[in-house]
Amino acid sequence: MGKLKLMLVMLIASVLMLAACGKDDDEKSTGSAGDGDAGYDLVKKGKFTYAASGVYKPFSFEENGELTGFDIEIGKALAEKMDLEPNPVTNPFETILQGLVGKKFDAIIGSMAYTKERAKQADFTEPYYYSGGMVFVAKDNDEIKNPDDLKGKKIGVVAQSTYEPPAKELTDDVQYYTSDVVALKDLTVKGRLDGVITSDVVGFEAIDNGFEVKEVGKPMWVEQASIAVHKDNPELTNALDEALKAIIDDGTYKEISDKWFGRDLLDIDLEGVELLE
Amino acid sequence: MPVPEIFVTFYEVFMQTYKGFLKAGLLTIEITAIAVVIGTVLGVIFALMKISNSKILQTIANLYITLIRGTPLIVQIMFLYFGITSIIVLENFWAGAIALGIHNGAYIAEIFRGSIQGIDRGQREASLALGMNSSQTMRRIVFPQALRRAIPPLGNQFIITLKDSSLVYVIGVSELFGLANRVAASNFKQFETFLVVGLYYLILVLIFTALLKWYENKLDVDK
Repeated sequence: MGKLKLMLVMLIASVLMLAACGKDDDEKSTGSAGDGDAGYDLVKKGKFTYAASGVYKPFSFEENGELTGFDIEIGKALAEKMDLEPNPVTNPFETILQGLVGKKFDAIIGSMAYTKERAKQADFTEPYYYSGGMVFVAKDNDEIKNPDDLKGKKIGVVAQSTYEPPAKELTDDVQYYTSDVVALKDLTVKGRLDGVITSDVVGFEAIDNGFEVKEVGKPMWVEQASIAVHKDNPELTNALDEALKAIIDDGTYKEISDKWFGRDLLDIDLEGVELLE
Repeated sequence: MPVPEIFVTFYEVFMQTYKGFLKAGLLTIEITAIAVVIGTVLGVIFALMKISNSKILQTIANLYITLIRGTPLIVQIMFLYFGITSIIVLENFWAGAIALGIHNGAYIAEIFRGSIQGIDRGQREASLALGMNSSQTMRRIVFPQALRRAIPPLGNQFIITLKDSSLVYVIGVSELFGLANRVAASNFKQFETFLVVGLYYLILVLIFTALLKWYENKLDVDK
């Protein structure tokens, strides 16, 4: 019995030590605006904590154990402008707004498009990029030549994305995914999916990576990817808008956009294009 | 696809990701360890409540076991992380570890109850006849024997816990499975990536099984 007790004590001690060394940087400052955070109510003191799905290459993805991508770097640039330490985190897209409302992070910089519906739950900044909603099909698919040909077919989309409502309009047979990349991959498996609606940028990235898929027609609409912030925190929304303007004005934005896409994502002609709301 | 190419890409994926996966593996171990400790403590408490003579304690224990066993772990994780934010805001790591611990508590309680009740009545009667009281009988005679019998099913339960810890990816914890999802989305190689992460789980389970076997031998569980 003595030995058993010793073992138990050692087990508990080692578990506590493990837990302690893994988590010691997680001191939290819940609430209390104004303690060195320039008046914003931050989830972690002195840190700008922002979330993305982490499965949306090239906007947010894992490389060599680090989170990177366009969204992540924009967040870093904004944090620097606000004199805060950047702290990117991941959360599955379908619960990312819930996470923001539950104050798990300060903002979503996760390629989330502004919509009126989402604006009921969170405040949005000005758009930080524009992208088109586009239909993709398997490379050897000759049947579907424009988005309307998808009527009644099986369409894959990410749940809670802006691609979900148009998919539902076209068909009753919607297949839900947690990642656009997995949805695109399923196009290449015979008999699983007829089409995927996702961002043009993400689809082209997948094609560049050797996916046997192709786009159909032109973008169906253009959406405004914006930063979502908790409604209790208008000071942070304002500060982010200012910081966004600052990085656009000083060329940081263009630098990041050029690095990932070879062009300025904000520099598009919006004349006569349907903006998604 | 020719087989050798898969070995090549598997090796590539493995080499590109092992640093991240080692870190993520540590997180998986931490979550599992915390869940196992919480689960064992809750398990012992609720098992004793269930075999106690108090109707109230029995009812509480039955309610706990029914509710937890009757709902999926993934629902409990979501509930703890998103559902009760008006009462308490838990970080995703802790919400996941605690949910996993509470979940396991119900199963471990049943393991302990079964092994305590499986001890021959004569043991208890003899101990009482020797003048020990009820609590001494439990601590000195019944529980040590029950614990030995509980070790194999407990080990089984701990292995299930290790694998179930993958579910906390839904609340954004970067443990093995969560990382695998993100890696696969970035290298566009689902097959190799999930093969790699499966290997990590297998290695962890094998290590755990070996530890358990060593401990069982030490306790002479077979005898």
